[in-house]
Amino acid sequence: MTPFELVEPPTLREAISALDPADPSTRAIAGGTALMLMMKIGIFKPTRLVSLRRVEERYRRIDVDEDGALHIGALTPLAAVERSAAVAAKAPAITRTLLTLSNVRVRNVATVGGHLAHADPHMDLPPVLIALGARVFVVGPSSERWIDVADLFKGYYETALANDELIADLVVPPQGHRHAAYLKCTTLSADDWPAVGVAVSLETERGSIKDAVVAVSAATEKPMRLDGVAALLGGKPADEATCKRAGEAAAAALTVLPDGRGSIAYKQQLIRVYTARAIRRAFEFAIANGSAN
Amino acid sequence: MAVKTLNVDQVGRSVARLESRQKVSGRAEYVHNMKLPGMLYGKIFRSRIPHGKIRHIDTTAAQRVDGVFSVVTGDDVRTLVPIPYYGPAFHDQPVLALEKVRYVGEPVAVVLARDPHVADQAAQLIEAEYDELRAVYDEVEAATATIHVHEILKPAGTFPDLKYLEGRRDTNIALDFQLRRGDAGRAFAAADYVFEHTFHTQTVMHTPLEPLVSLAEPGDDSVTIFTASQSPSFVRMEIARMLGWSENQVRVRTAFLGGGFGAKLYIKLEALVAVLALMARRPVKIGLTMEEQFYHITKHATTTRIKSGVSKEGRIVARECEVYWNGGAYADIGPRVTQKSGFTAAGPYDIENVKLDSYAVYTNLPPAGALRGFGIPQLVWAYESHTDLIARQLELDPIEFRRKNILREGRPQAVGTPMRDAAIEACLEKIADRMEWGKPCYRGSAALRRGRGVAIGFKACIAPTTSVAIVNICADGSCGLYCSTVDMGQGSDTAMAQIVAEVLGMQAEQIRVVHPDTDVTPYDMATLGSRSTYHMGNAVKRAAEDAKAKLEALAREAGAEGSPIPDVFRARYGMQAGNVVGIGTFIPSYQSPDKKTGHSENVTPFWMIGGAGVEVEVDVETGRFRVTKLVNVADVGKPINPKAVTTQLSGAAIMQLGHTMFEKMIFEDGKLTNASLADYKIPGFLDLPEDLTSEFVEAEQHGGPFGAKGVGETATFGVSPAIANAIHDAVGVRIYSLPITPEAVYRAMNGLPQEDRR
Amino acid sequence: MNRRIRFTLNGERVEADVAPHHNLVELLAERFDLVGARESCGQGLCGCCTVLVDGRAVSACLYLASFVDGANVVTIESLDAAGGLHPVQEAFIENAAFQCGFCTPGFVLMTAQLLEEKPDPSDEEIRHYLSGNLCRCAAYPEIVDAVKAAARKTAAKGR
Repeated sequence: MTPFELVEPPTLREAISALDPADPSTRAIAGGTALMLMMKIGIFKPTRLVSLRRVEERYRRIDVDEDGALHIGALTPLAAVERSAAVAAKAPAITRTLLTLSNVRVRNVATVGGHLAHADPHMDLPPVLIALGARVFVVGPSSERWIDVADLFKGYYETALANDELIADLVVPPQGHRHAAYLKCTTLSADDWPAVGVAVSLETERGSIKDAVVAVSAATEKPMRLDGVAALLGGKPADEATCKRAGEAAAAALTVLPDGRGSIAYKQQLIRVYTARAIRRAFEFAIANGSAN
Repeated sequence: MAVKTLNVDQVGRSVARLESRQKVSGRAEYVHNMKLPGMLYGKIFRSRIPHGKIRHIDTTAAQRVDGVFSVVTGDDVRTLVPIPYYGPAFHDQPVLALEKVRYVGEPVAVVLARDPHVADQAAQLIEAEYDELRAVYDEVEAATATIHVHEILKPAGTFPDLKYLEGRRDTNIALDFQLRRGDAGRAFAAADYVFEHTFHTQTVMHTPLEPLVSLAEPGDDSVTIFTASQSPSFVRMEIARMLGWSENQVRVRTAFLGGGFGAKLYIKLEALVAVLALMARRPVKIGLTMEEQFYHITKHATTTRIKSGVSKEGRIVARECEVYWNGGAYADIGPRVTQKSGFTAAGPYDIENVKLDSYAVYTNLPPAGALRGFGIPQLVWAYESHTDLIARQLELDPIEFRRKNILREGRPQAVGTPMRDAAIEACLEKIADRMEWGKPCYRGSAALRRGRGVAIGFKACIAPTTSVAIVNICADGSCGLYCSTVDMGQGSDTAMAQIVAEVLGMQAEQIRVVHPDTDVTPYDMATLGSRSTYHMGNAVKRAAEDAKAKLEALAREAGAEGSPIPDVFRARYGMQAGNVVGIGTFIPSYQSPDKKTGHSENVTPFWMIGGAGVEVEVDVETGRFRVTKLVNVADVGKPINPKAVTTQLSGAAIMQLGHTMFEKMIFEDGKLTNASLADYKIPGFLDLPEDLTSEFVEAEQHGGPFGAKGVGETATFGVSPAIANAIHDAVGVRIYSLPITPEAVYRAMNGLPQEDRR
Repeated sequence: MNRRIRFTLNGERVEADVAPHHNLVELLAERFDLVGARESCGQGLCGCCTVLVDGRAVSACLYLASFVDGANVVTIESLDAAGGLHPVQEAFIENAAFQCGFCTPGFVLMTAQLLEEKPDPSDEEIRHYLSGNLCRCAAYPEIVDAVKAAARKTAAKGR
């Protein structure tokens, strides 16, 4: 790595003002697990890094508001999310996902905000958060805005964030009777990045799916919400035919990228199979939890 | 014994590694951690093209970087070493590329700096211009291609039987080995059935977690090299030869190795750091990153065509094999693999008529060498997949078919050497027993199909090779062992100490094992091919016996027979003084295979036998599969250290599991696209079979120290074909190329063509 | 651009000048001669560089040295600093849970962490917790045995 300037402002505001909208060699660093990889192989050579580790403690908190929405500060380490009773209660799909997300050391250091801002399409939380309808609160030098996680990713390692905007909070809305499942499929070693990830959240009514959200990751340049696929599920039971049709539709809807983890044709098959399985899994959770009325 | 000692069995005891405490506390010494005052770090600038003539290397920008000591190219190397080529079988590899580059990743220049970050940064500023040449990557294509990786073959003098290749030109075939036994042509014509298949294996990498690293310290007329090497004696000789020096001007030292598996054999970075240190007149260290390792050594990809003639009684009457070894751009030890493993290509079967051809082929890929098994896993993959296919087509039980054809004790192997102390049958029967082969197995559900398979392989130990050991008894009765076997995790320090302790009636834990230092420890060919326990074990045993005899003589001379050792020395020298030094040398007898027929009555000092039984569960929708059970069975002779042997067996099998299921170096136009552990995955905890057992059969290796033989590679043999055979059993499809990815299984199940394998 | 940082290292207050682009592995090795955390894969995947920072296991190869300013850093070298081995270390030796030893300090530290969080882990929990540590010698079966033995030892000591 090459030398750079490291600043560690005490507030998020100051951190934002230390960023330069026109200079991509200035970037914020939180846990740094992803950024360090890019710096070590020389694809990112910073002139200045703005460390967020000294900013206000509130960006590391996990709260539930009076509506039951889950607020996770962007600088919360993934391990803290994993261990949070509030998260387990309000969004157990997140807790389950974290158990196999990267490894213990990365989860100890990597933050929620960094995980999202890195925008690697193989990441596990984005499809889950999309399925849960989560939003991020984004702060810039003179503006603040909400972005649906579904709209956060613009391409391969690209987000909708300006270079001087930072994610401050992640908010997961109350899930009510919705239940979610995330399934991922690795094709090399078991601890590898997924070749395909599929997250589904749904609510049931009298044994049928009331409404659903389907999101697919890893096989595409960015995580994708598949509204057309979700629309196929409304009013249907999660039977084999329905799940299969949804899987077919998901595979047909996506532009799949081939790599060492699978060809286009094979990843399409994985999308078919895992979409169907994730729908069934979410459906089973919903039925088992007695939310169907 | 004429001297009073302990009498506790040391051999056969599961002694904890002597260096245990150092390893669990992070204090064990590795070259990775070494530094010397004034040391420079070297960073390698590499070729980005697969094949081309070097037109110009521009180092000016790198040289201008603050903190750069120097930038060195191949031409600079020539000012110190006029002919800067090295290699164990061929002198074909330049210290830094000269005139031509032959693969992507080949070292072209080195930046030296005190600060490794500066060296790294400067290396990125070097520019090279080439006249690109067409390249060849496939081993079969390369065997007849008009593109030539080397203009002329340069066999080394190291192995006298390669001399005949000298001066061959315009070929990529570095070595061809052939074996002819009986009359295969006639036997095929007479056979009731003929089966023919082609199998492939992929390029993989050893990925020792301590990446290749070497450090050289120059003297006035000498050089000391600290290196993570499995072959310090060879490094000394080869560096001395290249420099035109005598052996005693080159000192080579090793520490513990953070894994080797064949990656750290012969010369890797040693020639480069030695030359750089002599040029800079400063210590120079080059430690590769995990990424860079992939550009220095790999395991041969292979193509094997195998054909069998079988009688209607189920006897294999003829077998023909053609094996192409993808050696990459430099031969390394590939030609030895081609011959020494090549002659076993027909498998552990009693076949009257055999025709084998084995070719070491140059291509424009990173050099291939030895990786845990010395070519055997590639061959077993072919012949045990083929054997299973024959049994299926003849509707014979795969175990029963093997029983009919197996090489039994005393029968000659294809090369002509009789099988002795080779428990093939016992291994096969134990696998059958542990798999409960006689009972029907659970076939799974419609969605998750289950199946089972077996495979068995064998290997001849590379011969002839020499080991020398010294045992030194101090006047207080303590004892040191000096040997150049490198402990890279296999536990050789401990096993050798057990042998010394057994002979001398001491506790193994009290023996001090001195690590390889060519100024101190005597010659050993190398730590490779599971040869150490047998060869060095014998040398160590002889050295200990020699020491014991000398000690007894000393006791007689001093009139102190029956006294404890310190009293013997005191009686002889009047005080605590003196040493007794025992020396042992071992080289087995050997007959070189005949050039035309490959025939040899005595091709190996011992045979290694290993097999596996596997159960898999296949997800029919995706082709993903789990190995639910893996049984490894091996003939290990009489184990010196049973626990260490078991861990070697399971470790080797798990490594081979990675090579079977997902490890693969992926090349696009000669460029490696997955050179890191992020994309080249190796087995972790979650990849282990649910039920994994490793066992050995009752056996004894005559001529081995206390009946022992080598075991480090044995459990790699059967794993890959056993898995393919189990998948076939589960879902009825055959996979012909490694790795067996879920996609490969899915494609086979759906009648889709397989992806291009490179 | 170097900065002076102060932190606690294996129980001792220390300070060091660090360059911004140096990672924690380099800091420990270059400045404090602590080499038990070693960079191997360089990507946080193998666990050879495991170090505890404020009681959490981290990959030191992906951790900027500057970031330990004010922190409490514990390395493998502290485990037997008092003379005796840590129960996890004893269990690793008794169960032959390593071969080349290069990855071992990482496994030992991770195991110590695991047992703090879960004193009696199941096989499944062990495999998952340690799935981010690689052992190319593949002493995995023996490591599972060692972790369970260490759990028993720790429980016995606590009694």
